[in-house]
Formats: sequence, C-alpha cells, structure tokens
Amino acid sequence: MTIHRVIRKVQRFQGWFGGGAALCLGVGLYLGLIGSPPDYYQGEVVRIMYIHVPLAHTALLAYIVLTIGSLWYLWKRDPIVDNMCQAVAALSAVFTALALGTGMIWGKPTWDTWWTWDARLTSFTVLLLILIGYLMLRTFVDDPEKEARYGAILAIVGFVDLPIIHFSVEWWRTLHQPQSISMRGVSISSGLLVPLMFMSIGMSLLFSYMLMVRTQLLYLDRLLHAKQGRLLSQFHLSKSDS
Amino acid sequence: MTSFNVIRWIVWKDFVTELRSRETISSMVFFALIVILIFSFSFSMDQQAAREVIAGIMWVAFAFTGIIGLGKSFSTELQNDCLEALQMVPEAKGAIYLGKVAANFAFMFVVEILLFPMFVILFNLEVVEEISLLLLIFFLATVGLSAIGTLFSALTVQIRAREVMLPILLLPLVVPVMIAAVEATKGALNGDPLALYEQWLKLLAVYDVVFTVVSFWMFEFVMDS
Repeated sequence: MTIHRVIRKVQRFQGWFGGGAALCLGVGLYLGLIGSPPDYYQGEVVRIMYIHVPLAHTALLAYIVLTIGSLWYLWKRDPIVDNMCQAVAALSAVFTALALGTGMIWGKPTWDTWWTWDARLTSFTVLLLILIGYLMLRTFVDDPEKEARYGAILAIVGFVDLPIIHFSVEWWRTLHQPQSISMRGVSISSGLLVPLMFMSIGMSLLFSYMLMVRTQLLYLDRLLHAKQGRLLSQFHLSKSDS
Repeated sequence: MTSFNVIRWIVWKDFVTELRSRETISSMVFFALIVILIFSFSFSMDQQAAREVIAGIMWVAFAFTGIIGLGKSFSTELQNDCLEALQMVPEAKGAIYLGKVAANFAFMFVVEILLFPMFVILFNLEVVEEISLLLLIFFLATVGLSAIGTLFSALTVQIRAREVMLPILLLPLVVPVMIAAVEATKGALNGDPLALYEQWLKLLAVYDVVFTVVSFWMFEFVMDS
C-alpha cells in the first residue's frame, strides 16, 4: 500500500511551515509584547490585539479553505480532500472560539463588559455554531462517504449564508438601537502594524502547519482502518477454509 | 413524466397523506399553542409590553413548529423505503426538492394563518390595517424557512439523532430570516411607515431567492446514492 503523493509532499514541506510559524510568531510576540509602545488610548490592553486580530483573520481564512475543499470534494469525490475538510473544520472551530475568547478578554477592560451583541461578535458566534454543527453532523453519520458529502453540503450552504448573516446582524444592531459601545477607530501606526503583520503571517503559517499534520493524521487513520478491515476479512476467510 | 409533473405529484401525495392522517398540521398547531402559553407565563405582559415582544414570540413559535413539520416531511418517507423510491425517480432531483418545498411551505403557512388570530385575541393586537402587509411578511419568511429547511430535512433524515440535528443545523442558518421577520412584523404591528422596515422585506426576498437556488443545487448531492 502506497502513501498518497499529496501526503508525501506534505510530509516533505510541513517542517518549513512549522519553522516559519515559530519564527514569525516569535518575532511578532517579541515586538508586540515588548518592542512596541502601549496604545495612547487603550494602554497595555491593546497588546491582546496582536493575538486576537490574527486569530480572527485565520478563522475566516480557515472557513474559506473549508468551502473550497467542500466544493472540490463534491466535484471529485476524493477522500483525501475530505480528510482535509475534516481537519480544517476542527481547526476553524478552535480559531473561531479563540478569537471570540480573546475578544471577550479585550472587551472587559475596554468596553467594561464581557459580552455585547455587537454585529461582529454576533456573526462570529453564529459562525462558531455552524462549525460545531458541522462537527456534530459528521459524528452522527455512519457511512464515511455520506459523512463527507453531508459535511460538504453544510459547509457550502453556511458559506453562502455568512455574508447575509453578517449583513442582517449589522442592520439589526445599527437600526434597532444606537450602538452604545463601538470600536474606536484606531488609526494604526507603523509601530503597531509591523508586529501585527508578523503575527498574522505567523498565525496563517501555524494554521497551515496544523492543517497539514491533522490531514495526515486523518489520512493515516483511514488507511489503518482499511488495512485492519482487509486483514480481518483475510483472517476470517482463511479460518473458514480450514 | 416531466419535472413539473413530479412536483405536482409530490405536493398532491403530501396533501393527501396529511388529509388522511392529519398528523403534521395538528401537531404543529398544538405545539405552537403550548409555546404561546409558556411564553405568556414567562413574561407577565401588559398591552404595551406585549407589543414589544409579540413579534419575537410569534416567530419563535412559527420557527419551532416549522421545524416539527420539516422534520416529518422526510421522516415519513422512511416507512416502506419510500425514500429509495424517491431517489429512483428518473427526473432531476431538483423536482423532488421543489415539490417538497411547496408542500412544506403550504403546511407552515396554513399553520401560521391558523395561529395568527390566536395571537391577535390572546395579546389584544389591532391589525386590521396591516393585515395584507403581515401576510406578505409571513409569506416571504416562510418561503425562506421552507427553502433551506427542506434541504436539511432531507440531509438529516438518514443520520442518527436526526430530531436533534435538524434544529441544531437549521437555526443558525436562518438567523437572517428570524431577524428580518421579527423586525418587519414588529414594524407592521406598531403601524410604522413602510419605509422604516421595507429593507427587511427586501432582505427576506433576497434570502428566499439565494437559498432556493443554493438548496435546489445542493439537493442533488443530498439525494445521490
């Protein structure tokens, strides 16, 4: 049994992504936490933004990757694409949850509340619910082919829905009651932008690295189960022969 | 058999089944009545407060009863392997989808029409002038709910824990419908000028078109086996 050529490629290159992520995140964290000045308005609190913003960007990037993977799966029906989709969905859920969590930690000192029904917060929450629904759906389907197909359908429908959700929530907040708390328009100076760039690139690389490792894991798991099944059936056949 | 005939037969079949068993609509109506009852316990409402929250209560009741109807739509097809029979229909699968959407829409809309007078009586609403506008809101929102709901009804019918998974998957996706329907209904009940909530009607219309098309397309993949 040979290992899929895509997996071979991934095995060869994943180290670069992991190393690049460690380097970028290291530089970014140093610049963000120590090298850059505190914000004029927000003080030291602003430093969590160096984690929060890249997490949020990566979460959205992950959902786009999930959608492309899902379309690809429905088109080609290649199980390895589904392994990638499954891996990216779990990562996307984790990144979305972390983005929400760090946003709440930032909101407490800045807005003086853990939670507000702000448009962006609300649409991110809905995104998280869709992703959790996706992961739950997959555990409830017995047939792996059906599991992949149903997951892909949900991901694509969710992708179409997300802009409409964001749009409707934004209208609802702005029309319904004037937003009591809103993000102050912080014009970003270069001192803040450089660490943010490092962190964003680093987070995307980290995401890619984790995606590669997890896809590989799911692929090998599938291979192992297939092999196990074959061995078992051979064993039973040989027993019934004798 | 043309695709149009497939749609017609599916609608006809669902109507006849419903007329003979009277399962779906009656269970939807009674469930909605219980929801209304629970809500009136949980908020002690005078007429002023009722105006503020009634649109929300109404759409929570409609959405939950809609999910009951949607869930039944395909789970009844499991008996006698009717689902396999549907999958063997030689016409495009989209025809089955449109038939099911039409039937589900009709059931939900009938239930909403039956329930609305109860809301009017129980919460002392005055709606004589806005009745046609409210019907339009009900129509648009119900098209949206049934368009995406039918897809997920078909998708969840063949998995474990389908009664739980249908609302879990469906409710986050219909957030725009719920917001738009509640805001528009609130506007209409308060007698606000149409210009204030016109955009919600437009949003509902856009949602209906987008998700009828997307679900129509995705339904092919749900049904292929």
